[in-house]
Amino acid sequence: MLPLLSLILATLLFGTVATFLAGAKARWAALGTSVAFLAEVGFLFLSYPGWPGYNGALVPGFSDQESYAWIHLSWMQVNYTVGVDGISLVLILLTAILQLATVVYSWTEAKRPAAYFGLVTLTCLGSFGVFVALDVLLFFLFWEAVLVPMFFLIGFWGGPRRRYAALKFFVYTHVASIVMLVGLLALVFYSGSTSFDFASIYAAARGLSPVVQVFLFLPLLFGFAVKFPVVPFHTWLPDAHVEAPTGGSVLLAGILLKLGGYGLIRWAVEVLPIGFSHVRPIIFFLAFLSILWGSVLALSQRDLKRMVAYSSINHMGIVLLAIGLGSSLGLLAAVLLMFAHGIVSALLFMSAGSVHHTFGTRDIPAVGGITPTTPTLSTMMMAGSLASLGLPALISFPAEFIALLATWDGLGYLVLLPLAVLVVTAAFYLWMMQRMLFGPARGIPADAHDIPSHEGLAMGLLVAMAVLFGILPGLLVNVIANSPVKGFPGT
Amino acid sequence: MDLLSVAAPFTPELILLAAALLVFLLDVLGVRRLEALGAIGPAATGLAFVLVLADLGFSPLAGLRTLGAGSIDQVPDVGSATLYAFSSLGLVFQALFLVAAFLVSLASLSRPSRERGAAIFFGLLLLATLGMLLVAIASDLIFLLLAIELTSISTYILVGYTRRDTRSLEAAMKFYIIGALSSTLSFFGASLLFGAYGSTNLFAIRAVAGSVGYPVLALLGYGFLLAGLAFKTTLVPFHAWAVDVYDGAPSDVSAFLAGGSKKIGVFALFLVFIGPVLFVRVGGGSNPFVGAPFDIGPVMQVTLAAVAILTMTVGNILALLQREMKRMLAYSSISQAGYMLIGITIGTSPALAGATLQVLAHVLMKGGAFLVVAAVAGLGVGPLIDDWRGLGSRRPALSVAFALMLLSLAGVPLTIGFVSKFVLFSAAVQAEGFFVWLAIAGLLNSALSVFYYARVLKTVFFDPAPPLPSAPTIADAATPPLRAGGIGYARAAAIGIIAVVIVGLGIYPQPVLGAIQSAAAHFVNVGA
Repeated sequence: MLPLLSLILATLLFGTVATFLAGAKARWAALGTSVAFLAEVGFLFLSYPGWPGYNGALVPGFSDQESYAWIHLSWMQVNYTVGVDGISLVLILLTAILQLATVVYSWTEAKRPAAYFGLVTLTCLGSFGVFVALDVLLFFLFWEAVLVPMFFLIGFWGGPRRRYAALKFFVYTHVASIVMLVGLLALVFYSGSTSFDFASIYAAARGLSPVVQVFLFLPLLFGFAVKFPVVPFHTWLPDAHVEAPTGGSVLLAGILLKLGGYGLIRWAVEVLPIGFSHVRPIIFFLAFLSILWGSVLALSQRDLKRMVAYSSINHMGIVLLAIGLGSSLGLLAAVLLMFAHGIVSALLFMSAGSVHHTFGTRDIPAVGGITPTTPTLSTMMMAGSLASLGLPALISFPAEFIALLATWDGLGYLVLLPLAVLVVTAAFYLWMMQRMLFGPARGIPADAHDIPSHEGLAMGLLVAMAVLFGILPGLLVNVIANSPVKGFPGT
Repeated sequence: MDLLSVAAPFTPELILLAAALLVFLLDVLGVRRLEALGAIGPAATGLAFVLVLADLGFSPLAGLRTLGAGSIDQVPDVGSATLYAFSSLGLVFQALFLVAAFLVSLASLSRPSRERGAAIFFGLLLLATLGMLLVAIASDLIFLLLAIELTSISTYILVGYTRRDTRSLEAAMKFYIIGALSSTLSFFGASLLFGAYGSTNLFAIRAVAGSVGYPVLALLGYGFLLAGLAFKTTLVPFHAWAVDVYDGAPSDVSAFLAGGSKKIGVFALFLVFIGPVLFVRVGGGSNPFVGAPFDIGPVMQVTLAAVAILTMTVGNILALLQREMKRMLAYSSISQAGYMLIGITIGTSPALAGATLQVLAHVLMKGGAFLVVAAVAGLGVGPLIDDWRGLGSRRPALSVAFALMLLSLAGVPLTIGFVSKFVLFSAAVQAEGFFVWLAIAGLLNSALSVFYYARVLKTVFFDPAPPLPSAPTIADAATPPLRAGGIGYARAAAIGIIAVVIVGLGIYPQPVLGAIQSAAAHFVNVGA
């Protein structure tokens, strides 16, 4: 069998190095890398055994698995083990789409383009690695490999307070990943597994007592919750988002936040189901807190980008809620929501970036009636906002619908809380559109013109994806549902 | 038994002795050129390194073995009270010491050839290395302490060998006085142990301690010995001298002190504490402390753990506050000694392997960093961290190598520094219980250390270069205010080798790690 995952990693690695060295032609190298990446991921997606019509059979374990010895000692074996299942596959697809969109959107980046595009590619390399790694050390390695380029993206290409934001981002996420590493190492050693492989840890962890499982679950929950981010560990996010360049925001919201969700599912919930079931009240509490607080904060923002950033907290809160349900329906909803949020938030961050370029401000009350001046931007923004508020036929609708269904299934009338918040959010997006897109023209500079074609192209790609998977969510649902989900009680 | 077969196992040591004598002889004969004298240094240490590798069982070199496989890792007859014993861990340490000496002497070939004192420098470097090799085969306290003395006296002179620089002379004086004090403490401890057990042989001490336990006299002896060795290893609170000495010494000598000779203290602690004290615990099955009439195991472990945490934390916090590059590196060297002590505290074979790997990593990272400092000082850059501004764009290759060393010190993945910390902390977590806290303390400390390394990287790569001191003409502005010329081929080669090995072993540590692991397992099973 073709070592497809290693091939993709090699492509990204080669692409990253080539982009860094390409100088003025860096954007072409980055474009080539992301197109190759997307093509390979497409092949991976279509050849996935869980794909309906491929062979119809459930996958017994991870697909496309590869394993080579890396560090073998008498008391521990670390391997290079990679593999995908439906959950990681969907998130890999998201990574590939967003990398292409980011590269195209940032096409005219003038400040040190080689470094910029190289770091973008490196971030995607790290994220891909996180999604495919099935070994604790390998996972941690890729996890850290995402942090460093993002730190530089914010710190070098960001807004006026970029140094502060980059440092805050680094400190928060670095501390979180150290706690996560301690949790993962403790998981390996307490489970009695000498191998760092997911499969053997998974098997060995079955024997742990509930108390130990809870104690092992908590540091992992903390480590991943900061990445999510979950209120009250969210304060790095608005700063990082607002100061980051648009490409950085897109990767941050679109991919990096998903690492937290993915990590929680793969390395905590699946491995420690009993610990998870005891910690669920904490998860629900954090989830509801994030949903409420995120939407309250989003409502009170005047800055468009900041508003989108806070609505990310709100959306990721729903993801956490769906994971916390512990049912396979909840899991399906969580993965779909992550995919949807990745596409939609990227679209909205790009819109915010374009608004900033075009009108010199992101202040919502300062600009109005932009549609006649910038019809393309206006269309894309409207598509993004409508997708974000869950309009049917766009990607968020099936995700949110399933999430609410799963919540009703698991928690009964508590579903009214996220439902109410969704309605409020929808109202806010509509109000924002009404003020900014329509009505009398306000605050439009005389020389304002519609966005450049590469920005439109990038956003168009995302809108196309939102429509495609909104109409045909089955493309994703089948893959996710046919993954060998382990550890969910009662499914 | 003919002389040749007696001498054969000591071939690496004899090579160094002969080389040192040759250097002094050539000096007397009037050969003063640094290149001529200096070439003996890398040649002798390189040859000795190859022989030690052969003795370690490195198969392509099997023909060069001077030591029978049967004579390694054997417990000698207690009655015979030998002075030395070959252990595979000792051989690993010999290899590490030789690597440090090789790299420093190689880089020193690029010192200015008109510089005086080349014979003193290279001759004493070889003698100091000889002492280090002897430490690694000691099995008797007196032999051990005399070997340490040989290294110490050579390094006292090395620190002040330039004779012109008052800072170096002051550092040498300080080093000498503190060193003499620490030797006195160690010898006093050894004499107390002799009083308690009737022997200075480590195997004999272990055997007797197993039956009579640990009387107060022995406790005092171990205490003094620990204090004496703590000076050599720069453990807090016996660390203060190190900063002034590393700062005042010529940077090449600092590289040797921090990267090389300091590690004899680590191996001496292995010998003294893993063998007789902790061996009871490690070999003794489920409850380690049952059996001895008066257990100092727990007391000793808590003491060592406290010293380890204190050393890491104090070193890191003080490093954060430094404005001079060499002082920052010196404090970071102190904190790294704390990581090594974690391994000794735990005393299991995984932990020893982790500590040994940490020693290897430190030889490369810290030795390399000081070699870069020497190179940069040769380019006319001042001692402050701020003076390094903009070096990244002027000397990109050198700066990237330096960055790799600092990243490795900070424990960033894909460097040897990450692997060594990973093995060490995982060994701590694996030992469970109280030791998990050591791992957590170590992790928090490495998180803390990231800040000062990152600050240096920011200065080197991001900050704009300082303005020229005098009003420059337009022609001058184009040329950086660095002295013209390179850093020397030999030094560049040494730095390049270090950078490649740091990353190479960071990506694929298995060959080295496997050898260290089996050596550590033998060491713990056989005892000192």
